[in-house]
Amino acid sequence: MICLASPRILVIGGGPAGLSASIDLFEAGADVVLVEKEDVLGGTPKKLHYSLIAPDLKPVEEVLDPLIRQVESSAVTKKLGTVVSAIENGNGHVNVTFTSNGGKEEAVFDAVILATGFTHWDPHKKYEYGYGVYPDVIDFKDFEKMLSDDNLARPSNGKMPARIGWLLCVGSRDRQVGKFYCCRVGCAVSIKQAMEVKKKHPEIDTYIYYMDIRTYGFWEDQLYWKAMEDLNVKFIRGRIGAISKGDEGSLVAMAEDTILQRPSEVPFDMLVLTTGMEASQGTVEMAKLLGLEMEEHGFVRPLEADSLPVHTTVENVFVAGTATGPKAIPDAITEGSAAAIKAFNYVRRSRGKKATGRSMKKDARAYAE
Amino acid sequence: MSILKNLPQRKDEQYPSMIIAGAREHGEQPHELANKIFSEMRGDFRYKEFVLGCLNCGECTTGCPAARFYDFSPREMLQVAMSDDPDVLLDAMQEKIWACCQCYTCNMRCRFGNDIAGIISVMRELAVRNGLESAKEVLKPASRSLLKVMTHGTQVSPDMIQPDFFIDWDPKAVSKTGDLIALRKAIPIDVLQVTDSSWEVSMQTALELAQIYEESGVLDMLRSLDPDLVEMIVDIISDWKDEFEEMKEKFGI
Repeated sequence: MICLASPRILVIGGGPAGLSASIDLFEAGADVVLVEKEDVLGGTPKKLHYSLIAPDLKPVEEVLDPLIRQVESSAVTKKLGTVVSAIENGNGHVNVTFTSNGGKEEAVFDAVILATGFTHWDPHKKYEYGYGVYPDVIDFKDFEKMLSDDNLARPSNGKMPARIGWLLCVGSRDRQVGKFYCCRVGCAVSIKQAMEVKKKHPEIDTYIYYMDIRTYGFWEDQLYWKAMEDLNVKFIRGRIGAISKGDEGSLVAMAEDTILQRPSEVPFDMLVLTTGMEASQGTVEMAKLLGLEMEEHGFVRPLEADSLPVHTTVENVFVAGTATGPKAIPDAITEGSAAAIKAFNYVRRSRGKKATGRSMKKDARAYAE
Repeated sequence: MSILKNLPQRKDEQYPSMIIAGAREHGEQPHELANKIFSEMRGDFRYKEFVLGCLNCGECTTGCPAARFYDFSPREMLQVAMSDDPDVLLDAMQEKIWACCQCYTCNMRCRFGNDIAGIISVMRELAVRNGLESAKEVLKPASRSLLKVMTHGTQVSPDMIQPDFFIDWDPKAVSKTGDLIALRKAIPIDVLQVTDSSWEVSMQTALELAQIYEESGVLDMLRSLDPDLVEMIVDIISDWKDEFEEMKEKFGI
């Protein structure tokens, strides 16, 4: 072996992908620094207090806490409440400046894994759904917290709702708001939420308004079929196009039932908007600092979306999780591991080449071959 | 082929009677007319711009005011526009397209970015150009407005608010308007303080408009629907032309 020191690798982002990448890199013997701007690890699922995770309906703690504990107990250098404020990438060395309350700090790395994730789309921008106008129209990420806290109540009066509706694809598959893509998880998460409601409170009516139900793979029977068969979750094929006030503070959702081809008006106590995913501010900022190419949906462009999904257009920068597009938590964890081994092997290979005097100017495509 | 053979053949007698009436007047067979209109719509430069695709989400129909009162759905109209069956198109043009009130709410709602109200107006234009019976029916009560617009360059005048002309209006529309002359005086722009016209358009402007109607083919388009109306318009315009020429000579312009 030519390389004497361990590969020095920076992981940006402490969500599912970043945690998984850090663990695998550490186990492989790398010198890992994990930087996270929040004060806790676990990323968006932990920060927003997700409830159960599909398809096994396990609490988010059960899914992510083992990863967090592994990172916490390891010798991975954890920089919480810290952001990357400057990056200089050249000659195979990445000079990174960290900024936190404690001030500025600099360090040098051989490779970077970007795992800065996504953010939920802001439903204020779809004004016809009355988000921010009617208190009982809520974002599904807030509903997730409500379920997690076991505090199911109408925001307007604190009472238990009798009928809840979900409207899928808010800020997804919508040319008007510039979000052309599917969020991949909205159908599954909404059905999961309805199942959670139904399991605890079978008396609550649950309706899901959809254009297409995209419960990929095993989610089809584990979620979609189960919700209908066992829990009496109702599905209406059509989108809510207008919401108005009904009797006794209810919200009347107007839609076209496109299967029956007739107008549908249903009063609800609560309406949940299933908002889409977009690249987080962190993803956009870090991609800019690292000089990464973005793809047309605003996410980081993988070098080859099909065969090199965790490589980026910069050879010593790798990417994992929702920074490259919408993904479920298990996919993000898998990609973290994939990015870890790619980054680790990249550093070993490039050091070997340096020692033997071979050209460093090969792009990641060549390394991958 | 074997599957198609077993399907019942569609006969001309099965077409709605209105299509046949509209078609026979022009000596064309219904399917020929349908094919003609279909290829005209597909050939229109606006078609590609207005009709993109459809997720069938129904938000357009939910927001549509006409859909609340008529058997009409913008989603259906877009599906008609996307359909490859010319008969489906001609069928929708017999009645349904005229229920649209062109408020463009469907366009505001459409997440695919279709111009649904736009393609409906293209269909209406084709109905007029091809002299469909439905277009004649719809334009009949509007002939006085058309006469006014095309000769005087202005639209409805206050004294046109008569129960005879607008039977489907608010029954109290006339009493609500009250003393028209007094109300007109309250309007802060120059409206001539008369009730038989909206505001005065200069003769030169009116003649220029007439020239536009003629050269853009609007008059020809109207002729297929209401030849008498076009004759009246042409008469009035030619009188005005003479008058204008006389004026020019008199004042040496």
